[in-house]
Amino acid sequence: MSGLRPVVDGTGGSALCRSAPVFELRGVTVVRGTHRALDEVDLVVGPGERVALLGPSGAGKSTLLALLSGATDPDTGAVLLFGEDLARLAHRRRRELTARVGALTQDLDLVEHVRVLHNVAAGRLGRIGLGPALLRLLTARADDEVREVLARVDLPWALHARTQHLSGGERQRVAVARLLLQRAEAVLADEPASSLDPTTARDVLELLRGSATTGTTVVSLHQPSAARHTFTRVVGLRRGRVALDLPPGRLTDDLLDDLYARA
Amino acid sequence: MTGLLDAPRLSPAAGRHVRLGVTRAAVLRRRGTTVAVLAAVLVLAAWRAFGAPGGVINTGGAALLDDLLARALSPRLDAEFLLLVARATATTLAFAAVGAAGALLVGLLGGLALSDAAWSRRPPLPVRLVRTALRGVLVAARSVHELVWALLLVGVLGLDPLVAVLALVVPFGAQTAQVYAETFDGVRGGAHAALRRAGAPRTAAILYALVPGASPLLLSYAFYRFECSLRSTVLLGLVGVGGLGQELVVSLQSRNWEEVWTLVLALLVLSALVEAWSARVRREAGSLGDARPVVAAADAEGVGALAAGRADSAPPTRTWTRWSVLVGLPGLAVAWWWTGASLEGLTDSLTWQLTQELVADLLRPALPDGGGSVLLLAVLDTLAIAVLAMAVAVLLTVVLAPWAAAPTASAAGPRDRSGRTRDIVRAAPRAAARLVSRTVLLGLRSVPPTIWAILALFVFFPGVVPGAVALGLYAAGILGRLVAEAWESVDRRPRDALVRAGVAPWRAGLLAVVPPSVQQLTTYTMYRFEVCVRDTAVVGVVGAAGLGRLLGEGLAAFRYPVVATALLASFAVSVAVELTSRRVRRGLSGNLRPRARPFRRAPARTTRFSV
Repeated sequence: MSGLRPVVDGTGGSALCRSAPVFELRGVTVVRGTHRALDEVDLVVGPGERVALLGPSGAGKSTLLALLSGATDPDTGAVLLFGEDLARLAHRRRRELTARVGALTQDLDLVEHVRVLHNVAAGRLGRIGLGPALLRLLTARADDEVREVLARVDLPWALHARTQHLSGGERQRVAVARLLLQRAEAVLADEPASSLDPTTARDVLELLRGSATTGTTVVSLHQPSAARHTFTRVVGLRRGRVALDLPPGRLTDDLLDDLYARA
Repeated sequence: MTGLLDAPRLSPAAGRHVRLGVTRAAVLRRRGTTVAVLAAVLVLAAWRAFGAPGGVINTGGAALLDDLLARALSPRLDAEFLLLVARATATTLAFAAVGAAGALLVGLLGGLALSDAAWSRRPPLPVRLVRTALRGVLVAARSVHELVWALLLVGVLGLDPLVAVLALVVPFGAQTAQVYAETFDGVRGGAHAALRRAGAPRTAAILYALVPGASPLLLSYAFYRFECSLRSTVLLGLVGVGGLGQELVVSLQSRNWEEVWTLVLALLVLSALVEAWSARVRREAGSLGDARPVVAAADAEGVGALAAGRADSAPPTRTWTRWSVLVGLPGLAVAWWWTGASLEGLTDSLTWQLTQELVADLLRPALPDGGGSVLLLAVLDTLAIAVLAMAVAVLLTVVLAPWAAAPTASAAGPRDRSGRTRDIVRAAPRAAARLVSRTVLLGLRSVPPTIWAILALFVFFPGVVPGAVALGLYAAGILGRLVAEAWESVDRRPRDALVRAGVAPWRAGLLAVVPPSVQQLTTYTMYRFEVCVRDTAVVGVVGAAGLGRLLGEGLAAFRYPVVATALLASFAVSVAVELTSRRVRRGLSGNLRPRARPFRRAPARTTRFSV
């Protein structure tokens, strides 16, 4: 294989970055065991940008998303959310910032034993007081807000079903409904389309985009083809480094072949 | 970012999956060491037990036992006595319920405080210091046996029902807190952390994610604790806590054998009912949960209890659980009223003064008469009792447990080969054997070790042997049940595959079923051994031998400095045994990996964008 140089032309997203960026990584390295999951990565994502994250398995996509959501801290370098360095913030302020970011993980992070409505309502725990939260948990009462988001993910019938009885795709939509209730400004999603057929995958991607109030999304994808439609920017990771950073229009099959080529 | 991406670099993954090859020499060395250590320990214990001058068996006492057995079929059944038995049964149940509920409350609060999962990040230094101190206090609290707690508390509170409640709540609460902390930490998935990041406040996130996620296991363990609490309440009868235990001691000491049998019968029925109820609830909890065998629980029976509740294919229902909660909560209020306990004794000025005196005494430990050598011999005796008791328990388990385990579907054979009646005829002896062995095991564990010790002292002179026999019988009842339940879950498919491949069934069993069964037996035996070391205090108080005897004598004579020494010694012994056993168990499980660091519970998971 010929040496693949990082194709970073700068037009990927800088035009939109006049105001404070939503996400920013500065020279971030994450060490997992003996290898570097991320290696000196710089990345800036501005408001409204829709970034598709591509790359072979183990390239560092999930680690990058975990950093942006505040779930992981970097070993070196800085992670900035809305212009503030997470490592320098007090615990409370840090949570205020991470609460403005919604995250859909591969595990979905749902509570399996409770009814769907509680999992959905959990999305707005940051907005309501402890008293109402407890009362809703005990009385299993669903209000219009919960019904509305469940309708949006096309699961109105599942309101009182136990989460563990749903199929994988249904559980994913429950997680999306929870995300909708969080009213996050930006949304991160880790391979949300990997187990879905193309049409459903596009629906989920649209929902995710709609769930971020500023429209900012960073989504890792298994299928590069989907990146060409819904996104404004494609970032390719390879061995923990940014290998591609382009508008989707400039994404060629050759570039993809190099990105996914075996070492 | 200008470097070549495909610059040659040693693949980091290359070295990670290489397994160290195991040689035959290593296997033989390990087996040799195991056998040698086991033999040495047993020989030492036997030497302590039978080496004493003056013989072991008290021939004069055998007649008493003969008397007792002769009346087995003529229990006292007149109305007056039956009423007394009914009241005693209610009292035992009430104390057990209140004790378990208290332990549950302590366990929930303590468990949340101790678990890492309840904190979304590493807690600040002061919190960690307090937690470390709390952990130490809890370990110390559970290392002291309920009976010893009761004897200590009687010195402070007098004969008050509260003594029994506290004697149950303190050690059980400490144990429950530890198990619950591990349960919370073991809740799968990152729901709690995700909610916290999404802005949920601490309490709300715990209630929405952590508690529901852990609830099947919490419930399962709570009911298991209730069973333990029942056994311990009976045992506390020795120090005058009312109920079946006390009546049993009184009848036994006044040689009213007919009454003894009635009481034992009542005890059997009560334990059987409570255990059946608990098993139903635990099975429901198991089918609700994610049905993994839980190894997080800190104590043996917890593990057994949780694993036993594993899901089968039945659809999850919660009928028993729901009714248990509906009936249980008002029931607890009734139970509290029935026990007659009140918290007033705690605020009494006399209590305060006596506590201060007790603590002052306990803080300046003194050696018993005879000095350090007496203490050392007591430690040796304690270990000897525990080792021999486990030998007895394992022997009985190997004899009884195979019959107590329910035959699995494949063992019953294909249905269509013979008629239904023939099936039933063929299965009848097996079912009878199962009933008998289960009843024997139930009886062994329902009668408290104190009673077994009193009976053993009829036959043996005081010393290591009666203690070991008494504890061994009791431990066999518990070990046998745990092992039988574990054996039911042994995978029989490899054996069936071998049989289909033409191997004789017994050989296939030897090859495919015995090894996993032996491993289960060993694991539970090691766990139970830890508990057994702690239980030696009980038979010691009755007069067997070891540290328990020092404790009992010191408490009877109000010589608290000696009591403090004995407590410290037994604490040291149980910690040492626990550490050794943990090492052995880790060795047995085949991989001597270092344990995961507490704050990176699932290292693989963190890379998957979830923590």
